[in-house]
Amino acid sequence: MALEQEFVCPLPSGIHARPASALEEVVRHFTSEVTLLNRRTQRSANVKSILAIVGTDVRLDDACVFTVNGPGEREDMAALSVFLRDKFPRCDSPLTATKTETAAPLSPCLRDAGATIYRGQPVVPGIGRGRVVPFGKFSIPPALPRDGVADVEKEWRRLDASLEKLNAAYDHRLVTTKGIEAELVKVHQSIARDVDFQNNLRAAVTERQRTAAGAIEEAEAHFSKLLAASGNEMLRERALDIQDVCLQLLREIYGDAAKTAEVKLTADAVVVAESLTPGQFLALDRKFLKGLVLASAGGTSHTVILARSFNIPTLAGMHELAAIQFGDQEIVVDADAGALVANLTDAARRYYVLEERRITGRRTRLKKLSARDAATEDGLRIEIAANISTAGEAVGAFAAGAEGVGLFRTEMLFLDRDTPPDEAEQFESYSAVLAAANGRPVVIRTFDVGGDKPLAYLNLPKEENPFLGRRAVRIYPEFETLFRTQIRALVRASAGGKLSVMIPMIATVDEARWVKTIVADEQKKCAAEKINFDPAMSVGAMVEVPAAALAVEALSRELDFFSIGSNDLLQYFMAADRMDTQLAALSNPLQPAFLRLLKLIADAARAQKKEISLCGEMGGQVRFLPLLVGIGLNKISAASPAIAGLKTELSRLNPAACEKLLETAINCATSSEVNALLEQFFEQASVPLVETELVVIDSDATSKEEVIKQGVDRLFVMGRTDNSATVEDAVWKREATYSTGFGHGFAIPHCQTNAVRFNSLVLLKLKTPVAWNSLDGQPVRVVILLAIRAAHGGSNAHMQVLAKLARKIMDEDFRAEIERESEPARVCAVLQGIFNRS
Amino acid sequence: MKLVAVTACPTGIAHTYMAAAQLEKTAKKLGHTIKVETQGAMGIENELSQADVDAADAVIFATDIAVEQEDRFSKARKIQVPVQAALKDPEAIFAQLK
Repeated sequence: MALEQEFVCPLPSGIHARPASALEEVVRHFTSEVTLLNRRTQRSANVKSILAIVGTDVRLDDACVFTVNGPGEREDMAALSVFLRDKFPRCDSPLTATKTETAAPLSPCLRDAGATIYRGQPVVPGIGRGRVVPFGKFSIPPALPRDGVADVEKEWRRLDASLEKLNAAYDHRLVTTKGIEAELVKVHQSIARDVDFQNNLRAAVTERQRTAAGAIEEAEAHFSKLLAASGNEMLRERALDIQDVCLQLLREIYGDAAKTAEVKLTADAVVVAESLTPGQFLALDRKFLKGLVLASAGGTSHTVILARSFNIPTLAGMHELAAIQFGDQEIVVDADAGALVANLTDAARRYYVLEERRITGRRTRLKKLSARDAATEDGLRIEIAANISTAGEAVGAFAAGAEGVGLFRTEMLFLDRDTPPDEAEQFESYSAVLAAANGRPVVIRTFDVGGDKPLAYLNLPKEENPFLGRRAVRIYPEFETLFRTQIRALVRASAGGKLSVMIPMIATVDEARWVKTIVADEQKKCAAEKINFDPAMSVGAMVEVPAAALAVEALSRELDFFSIGSNDLLQYFMAADRMDTQLAALSNPLQPAFLRLLKLIADAARAQKKEISLCGEMGGQVRFLPLLVGIGLNKISAASPAIAGLKTELSRLNPAACEKLLETAINCATSSEVNALLEQFFEQASVPLVETELVVIDSDATSKEEVIKQGVDRLFVMGRTDNSATVEDAVWKREATYSTGFGHGFAIPHCQTNAVRFNSLVLLKLKTPVAWNSLDGQPVRVVILLAIRAAHGGSNAHMQVLAKLARKIMDEDFRAEIERESEPARVCAVLQGIFNRS
Repeated sequence: MKLVAVTACPTGIAHTYMAAAQLEKTAKKLGHTIKVETQGAMGIENELSQADVDAADAVIFATDIAVEQEDRFSKARKIQVPVQAALKDPEAIFAQLK
């Protein structure tokens, strides 16, 4: 008697490969047969086959029914029900799809360069150039026979044995690969092991006398069609994974005979393909692979995910690709602009010389900036540290200018595995970070699991309200061995650098005391075993529970430092789930009461002479920095990419002004008032209109288009805009009303756009005058480009300065002075001269 | 002559002020007195009062966009030119006054 259970899919992305494999894992060892019927699509599947499950195309809220039939069905159904209720809703996390932005306007420099331009969807940013290498579609060599097998049993045994071998090969690769490549191997292995996949192959051989090649061809076509029929982009992209497994299987059976025309890169190349499987991608020589153009893949295909991890500029969604005959030529994949540029002209080549200059210019400047000590305008040091999640990130963090690691989240070591990491593995990981730090401070947070981050091997019960439940320090006593192992690994690692241990979710002094006892205990054991460690290793707490925020004084008697975990603190303080976008107004760190709380924590810590830092997302945003400086933090820890920007902004801030700003902010009534206050603060910020680096005295631009591009590129290099294309576009829109060449060899192109962070002026003197369609018909020698923010209310110091400049520029003597000066600093001084004169 | 003028360009960042400077300079050279109101990104500056307008022999509009508070000038003798004309050949504008 079969058992049935109705089921409504709770997963936002539906049952794609990952949830399907979680389901399959549960029923794999059932003695009964389990089928799934999707009532909407009327497709049903054997739940022991991942491919069949995904083929039913179950989407969010689809009504389905599971049927369990056969020996053991009662127990099996019970197990399945528990899984569906407790674990299934949480078995998926969204794949990080690439943002699909609408194509940005092209620079006229490129647009009018005479090259052929195809627009595509940029899925991995960057610019790459190389010779076109076309990559054929998936195909099985025609020479391999497909039909007419005499001994079907023998043929199937051959195919089955190859499947076994392929599986063994996957097992082997799992040992030698890690990260995204390992995940990929797992996906491919699950396909090769799939019951439906194997049944399909077997039926083709035994029932239709097809050869192994014929059977594989059939299976590929069958499952590709199945996946293509699903409305889910993520599923459609799994077709590439099926193709990969089929190709690998063919190679197992036929050896070299299975090889399709091999693509070997011998010089810088752009691979252009209708589709490219992950395996085919990995087989390409990445030394020469400069770019990738794909007709069909989207942001979640494994090929694209691989391309991203190797930084190969990639364009996708180029559906017209099949119709293009490139021939043998050099092309450019411009995934910054979202363009494939072929039939390169001299002008197009020149454009990319300028692009190269723009990108390296910014990189060089950021490198210089990130290498400086983090300090305010008047030299107050505030450590800018990095948040990391794996030991491997540490080197990159320090290269990005981190002055320490402010938060190493160790959860990653514990998640997604069947057994916890042992002491040796942990010791190695912590020591690696300390080695990378080379004497700089490192804060390692003990594992923050439980709650929304469940661990299979802890077997924690499902909670109604996981964020308010058993997580972090609250579960340490229950899993004391696990915690002791981590502490011992940390104590041992402390010999290798300046290590601090941080405890998450501390709410009471009792918790702090318990942790201190364990630490002291493990230190004593190490001492007894003559193991080296740093007895001065400090122990501190995350301040993320409001109770801790109000207990800093008492906690200070147990602990050495505090770090504000602004994400959790905010959600606990405002009682608002930070993942709930409907509650975004409450989850706003600019709520005056929250800022007041932050100040309270910092004041209390300072009164106890304890270090106080912040390591939540709030710390990574340059906008909030004045408030954080006002609060009086000693350290801010943020994601590595934010570090250079934070250091730059910090160097412009005055602590006294920030303190005053914060005082006003905490006395505001609403977050929008604080927001307006911040806007005003930045408007008044003394970022000068022009600086020496914004004066170019020997521009080699050869056209008006190039002059404008070079001017806007300076803004990009100097970090005044992140979006050159938008600023350039705004300048050209203004230029369309009438030319800004007002005669006398001068032009004053300008625009109003919030794509610039600060009102800015760039001055370029041209080596060769260029035509500008000027009022007096003469070419232009000096160009003054103005980019002004649109949002400023009426009176603004910069606007007055600009009005003064505009008037001054009509003065012959002033123009002569500008033309005479040949040092950027001198030109800058002349400009600032008018600004300072009242 | 006693003149008043208004300058205004589309973005109000540059040409409004360049034209104002040019009109002031040329008026001085030709021996006229002039008060120029700018209508730019900062709003109206050096605003012309009704008395200023009434006392003037003529008003010059060097504008590419609609003039604000135009009713002030309803009775005045007006000369309308594009902003660019004030930059390119300001003396020609004053020649129209004769």
